[in-house]
Amino acid sequence: METKLYLRKQITLFKRIIISLLVISGYSCESFVEVNSPSGQLSTEAVFEDKGTANAAVSNIYASLRDSGMLTGNSVSITTKMGAYTDELNFYGISSGTTLNFYNNTLLPTNPQVVSWWKTAYSQIYAANSVIQGVTASATLATTDKNQFIGEALFIRSLLHFYLLNLYGDVPYVTATNYKQNTTIGRSSTNLLYSKIIEDLQTSHALLPESYLSADRTRANKAVAMALLARVYLYSKAWAEAANAASYLLNNTATYKWENDLNKIFLKGSTVTIWQYKPGVEGQNSAEGGSMILLTGPPADVALNPNFVNAFEIGDQRRQKWIGSVSKGTSTWYFAAKYKVKLKTATSTEYSIIFRLAEQYLIRAEARAQQGDLIGAKEDLNKIRQNAGLGNTPAVSQQEILEAVIRERRFELFTESAHRFFDLKRTGQLDSQLTGVKNGWNSTDNLLPVPESELTLNPNLLPQNLGY
Amino acid sequence: MNNFSFYKDGKGLYCLFFIWLCFSFSSLYSKNTVRHSTIFTQQHQIQGTITDGINPLPGVTIAVKNKINNAAISDYSGQYTLSASATDTLIVSFIGFKTTLVPIKGRKTVDVQLIYDTTTLQEVRVNAGYYSVKESERTGSIAQITSKDIEKQPVTNVLAAMQGRMAGVNITQTTGVAGGGFDIQIRGRNSIRSDGNAPLYIIDGVPYSSQTVGSSRSTVVLPSASDPLNSINPADIESIEVLKDADATAIYGSRGANGVVLITTKKGKEGLTRYTVDVRQGIGKVTNFMDLLKTDQYLEMRREAFANDGIDYGPSDYDVNGTWDQSRYTNWQKELLGGMASYTDIQASLSGGSSKTQFLISSAFHKETTVFPGDYHYNKANVRFNLNHQSEDGRFQINTTAGFTAQKNNQPGIDLSQFVVLLAPNAPSLYDESGNLNWENSTWENPLSYLEGKYKTATNDLIANTMLSYAILPSLTAKASLGFTNTNHNETRTQPSTMFDPAYQLGSEYSIITATNTQRQSWIIEPQIEWQKSYGKLKTQALLGSTFQKLSGSQLIQEATGFTSNALIYSLSSATLLKAIADNESIYKYQAVFARLNFVFNERYILNLTGRRDGSSRFGSRNQFANFGAVGGAWIFFNKNQTKTNNPVISFGKLRASYGTTGSDQIGDYQFMDTYSTASTNYGGVTGIAPTRLFNADFAWEINKKAEAAIELGFFRDRIFFTGAWYQNRSSNQLVGIPLPGTTGFPSIQSNLDASVQNSGVELTLRTVNFEKESFKWITNFNISFAKNKLLSFPNLKGSTYQNQFVIGAPLTIIKAYHYTGIDAQTGIYQFEDINNDGRITSPEDKQTVVDFSPDFFGGLQNQINWRRWQVDFLLQFSKQKNYSEEYSLGLPGAKSNQTTRILNRWQNSGDNAEFQRFSTSADGEVLDASDKYFNSDGIITDASYIRLKNIAISYTLPEDWIKGVRCRLSFEGQNLLTFTPYKGNDPAFKFAGYLPPLKVFTTGLNLTF
Repeated sequence: METKLYLRKQITLFKRIIISLLVISGYSCESFVEVNSPSGQLSTEAVFEDKGTANAAVSNIYASLRDSGMLTGNSVSITTKMGAYTDELNFYGISSGTTLNFYNNTLLPTNPQVVSWWKTAYSQIYAANSVIQGVTASATLATTDKNQFIGEALFIRSLLHFYLLNLYGDVPYVTATNYKQNTTIGRSSTNLLYSKIIEDLQTSHALLPESYLSADRTRANKAVAMALLARVYLYSKAWAEAANAASYLLNNTATYKWENDLNKIFLKGSTVTIWQYKPGVEGQNSAEGGSMILLTGPPADVALNPNFVNAFEIGDQRRQKWIGSVSKGTSTWYFAAKYKVKLKTATSTEYSIIFRLAEQYLIRAEARAQQGDLIGAKEDLNKIRQNAGLGNTPAVSQQEILEAVIRERRFELFTESAHRFFDLKRTGQLDSQLTGVKNGWNSTDNLLPVPESELTLNPNLLPQNLGY
Repeated sequence: MNNFSFYKDGKGLYCLFFIWLCFSFSSLYSKNTVRHSTIFTQQHQIQGTITDGINPLPGVTIAVKNKINNAAISDYSGQYTLSASATDTLIVSFIGFKTTLVPIKGRKTVDVQLIYDTTTLQEVRVNAGYYSVKESERTGSIAQITSKDIEKQPVTNVLAAMQGRMAGVNITQTTGVAGGGFDIQIRGRNSIRSDGNAPLYIIDGVPYSSQTVGSSRSTVVLPSASDPLNSINPADIESIEVLKDADATAIYGSRGANGVVLITTKKGKEGLTRYTVDVRQGIGKVTNFMDLLKTDQYLEMRREAFANDGIDYGPSDYDVNGTWDQSRYTNWQKELLGGMASYTDIQASLSGGSSKTQFLISSAFHKETTVFPGDYHYNKANVRFNLNHQSEDGRFQINTTAGFTAQKNNQPGIDLSQFVVLLAPNAPSLYDESGNLNWENSTWENPLSYLEGKYKTATNDLIANTMLSYAILPSLTAKASLGFTNTNHNETRTQPSTMFDPAYQLGSEYSIITATNTQRQSWIIEPQIEWQKSYGKLKTQALLGSTFQKLSGSQLIQEATGFTSNALIYSLSSATLLKAIADNESIYKYQAVFARLNFVFNERYILNLTGRRDGSSRFGSRNQFANFGAVGGAWIFFNKNQTKTNNPVISFGKLRASYGTTGSDQIGDYQFMDTYSTASTNYGGVTGIAPTRLFNADFAWEINKKAEAAIELGFFRDRIFFTGAWYQNRSSNQLVGIPLPGTTGFPSIQSNLDASVQNSGVELTLRTVNFEKESFKWITNFNISFAKNKLLSFPNLKGSTYQNQFVIGAPLTIIKAYHYTGIDAQTGIYQFEDINNDGRITSPEDKQTVVDFSPDFFGGLQNQINWRRWQVDFLLQFSKQKNYSEEYSLGLPGAKSNQTTRILNRWQNSGDNAEFQRFSTSADGEVLDASDKYFNSDGIITDASYIRLKNIAISYTLPEDWIKGVRCRLSFEGQNLLTFTPYKGNDPAFKFAGYLPPLKVFTTGLNLTF
């Protein structure tokens, strides 16, 4: 009896303890494991409620374009790699890095550079789409700010797709942030891609402000969108539209005052600059200057192809002013000296320029020639030639003028974001110009391979481009 | 969200409340103490010596039966004195020996020879985390190694000490550079995520995060960031238990899916104050170098490559175009990795105490240098303190341990191994005539220039825990386990301008330092109640507890450039540009209630029920809580201690089985949140912010179902003891970072995958006592594991991003490769199977051949031989597995990098039947493409099975009378000594091409006990 009582007492006690424990634990269940978002992270919704943070999201896309991917202008951008891929640059490097594969035209679908350009571009496109989505949904941003941010994001989205299309062929056009949709997205045809790029650029042009956000021309405005639109029209053979778009900038002489001095064109305050990157730190200069200018030989990576250097017309001032050289013993190496500053300076003097006015003249020259306006075409072409200290073009027929424009582009736009490759490609001259000049050239080299990992993860991108 | 919570900021309050709960019952029941009356008898002084047959045993407890407070401890010469009456019986006990009862029978001198306790294997208590069980009554699958095994190995990481010694536990070292880590898989790969397979580490009851500290931005010399497990000094460990099946791990609920590693540190022991010093000194070397081409062979390869490609030497082909001396030869492996690392270890400890209070103070110092040229070293120092106390009546117990470890690692900024094999054998000399780095007119990158960059870390670690327990009733104990850990890790990686060729005129304004500061702090409170009671033949035990844990971490990564002098590179404030790359903080909160119910009937039938309810902050508010549980049972069908029939062969027999669920929340923090984070970029004066991740608000717990059945058999008084276990783990609803194509903007998204993965296998262990004589004893331990991983189902695999990675019915460890079909005798180029017959060899269409890298079986064979004063212990580790052949890390044969001599067997002329395709400088796209496909084919995968003499330890104990009062032991130890393998590369087990493989280490040691 006594033991029974003792047992019961004990069980009651045990129960009491269990209950109190459960109560204690139960109390906190809901709240203990809740956490607030960590410092340094801001909810996406909140980002686009405030102009400052929305602007920071947009700024970061520019910074990303400047620092990573195809369009940085440095030694891993298309400027260097696609220059070596064609007849613009020679590879002299000592390490067997990816430039050698570009130079030999022996790219593989696993080439890290090929993979990284693709992935970086689409991650930048994601950021642009996120801005478009966030700003559109925002209830608090002012309409002018909304237009500015969406316009810039649309411009960047179309810019990246334009380069992807011309490097990789038919690529997916990504306009949303939904990963389910973007995981299985298929390729679009070239025509469809151009129409989407044009549509985006037209909307962007409509939304963007007339004037630059800051005097140093580092953010997109209407003119920047129009400059790209002119190029896109040219590439898609919409000659009249290309000429009109170029005129939009060329007629704006108040903002884009012609610069006669070849040595001043690439300065940060140049009046012929349409869009340039703001360096991350004061004192930093252009990425092109940093990677191209040689202080000593042999070059660690690339130098200008001597055949290209020798192909300049006699008297071409660009040969004197835009090309430098270094020698050691009997060897001489040439480098692009459009930008003069390689190292850091107290204050930055040169920024990386993406769009400049000379291209617009050449776009209009070509577009006019294509439309039969040969006088107008020659006028634009001679404008560039005169600046280089050359006489008027001897070209007479439409065909001659078109050839003269492409030739002029080679000497005006060298080592500026792979113009040479794109010009040869869109005019169907890759094989004729590069076979025999480049040992490893094949006609299928007109496209880069789609990264192997992309095809593995998304079979809707199959088949691989021919030749890979 | 409920922002107000009693507990959120009130842990202290909670703790106090619990302690009050404990003590509120104490006064009520304290009266129940039984007081023994002492019967007065005539006392005599008794003395004697305790030995093990050969050596005197110090520290042995000699007590008098039925007389509390009358005990003595033998001194260093094994002698004792105590007073007892002539009719008393002495109880002589010592760890590792059978407790012996010796009636005094009127003697004045009672010498006792203790017998080693080998047959009481079944009586050993095994730590199961929240509770411990008698080995014979164990229902779960638990593997154990003890200090005896750990002490014999010259290792700095606890995981190294476990290698090859535990069934079902597969451990690979990731680098031979100090500070690096290990890969561990307990019963295979459960998760599709390659980083979600780490077990839960518990050190003395406190969870210890094994997530790497440091960042990949500053850690380049190691394949992954610094491993925090290096903070644990292996010499401090008493035992390591690995919990494998559901019965053992379900009580850890959501964190038990990948197994649990319990680390128990050494505790103070009752007895005379003992002072132990252990000194070791040793050397380490690279185990094996590759057989690379000599200059003439190399140049032959290069010339042939140019001839094959039909091109002339280019201006930058310095090795063959006459720029470099073609008669030069340097064995770069020997030159740059052939150094000898030195090892120094000093340990000292002081322990002792009364029967109520014991203490242990220990400290250790470790230093090792590297095989790289230059002064690099890794230092580790630690101190530890342990105090155990129990009240006079034994009802209140407290056990406190605190350990502090400081590590300093100073390594080159980059692991040179990756450059060494690639250097042309006729590359220029490292130094010019005046002793400066030689750049040979800017024609090469001097490998020593990489050593200008340094990787330095300083890590401080504090782990402290306290276990309080109070026996409220004889059958009821309340406990609280409190733990705290604090890790502070600072690391820097420098890239000074002196790394660059001076011809490029880059001054200190281009020098870069990347500094990472990681802080991690956690606390845990686990109040528990234990109840046990016997009802006749039924023994019952119950445990109920709850867990509150919080882990807060922060990391600041800074990059500074632009110094006025390289001498100021470590001063961030001297930089003209200081950038915060990342400034992260994370908080992980975790809460649980757990319980265990155990029934043992007639010491034969055992039932064990465990369960846990978990909540974790890593999930969105809809999915924070989940339940886990397991049931385990055992039937002891034969036990010689119970069975009357004296079977001469079989001595023990047990069947056990378990089934249950566990989970995993190893997914990183905040993954369910949709946020932007600071990107540390500046554009026009604005600091950028970028989308943090693709988010999924709805991912939930994954569930692992584990089943196990095992048999344990002892023969000949357990001298042969066999365990055979079969297990099957199935995980479903897996939490994975689903890989995404680049078009999504991110590499992956956190999500639950509707796929189910099965790990099944058989683990066999055999322990035999081959000889058991007084002067000669030989014990063999053998373990072998056969594991099979299988993807059971994956709805819509075809439509997912995994379609070219996984195959239903095949393991997760597969890769899909091209099928290599040989060399075209005409063109001399590798050929592959065109699976879809479209005339092109493309990925993924033709990359469909499945190759599995998981080992067919692995295990270890350990022998321990004692002969008089000698002890020899050696471990053979073996594995049947595949690996990439050594060419994998060497690139294209014919390009400007060195190769193994095997490639000389290459195609040269039409009709050649060669092993390797024709040489090319990489200008031939077809050869380059075939080479790349070969590296991604089954042709490059080769047998990498091995048997390795992993560890050997020989020790000799000096006779006691050599130095009076000092026990002295001399030892020789070796690690990774010999490997038998058909594999031709550096190390068949090593999977991190380009990094330094584990070294071969020899040490000699001296151990003194006063």
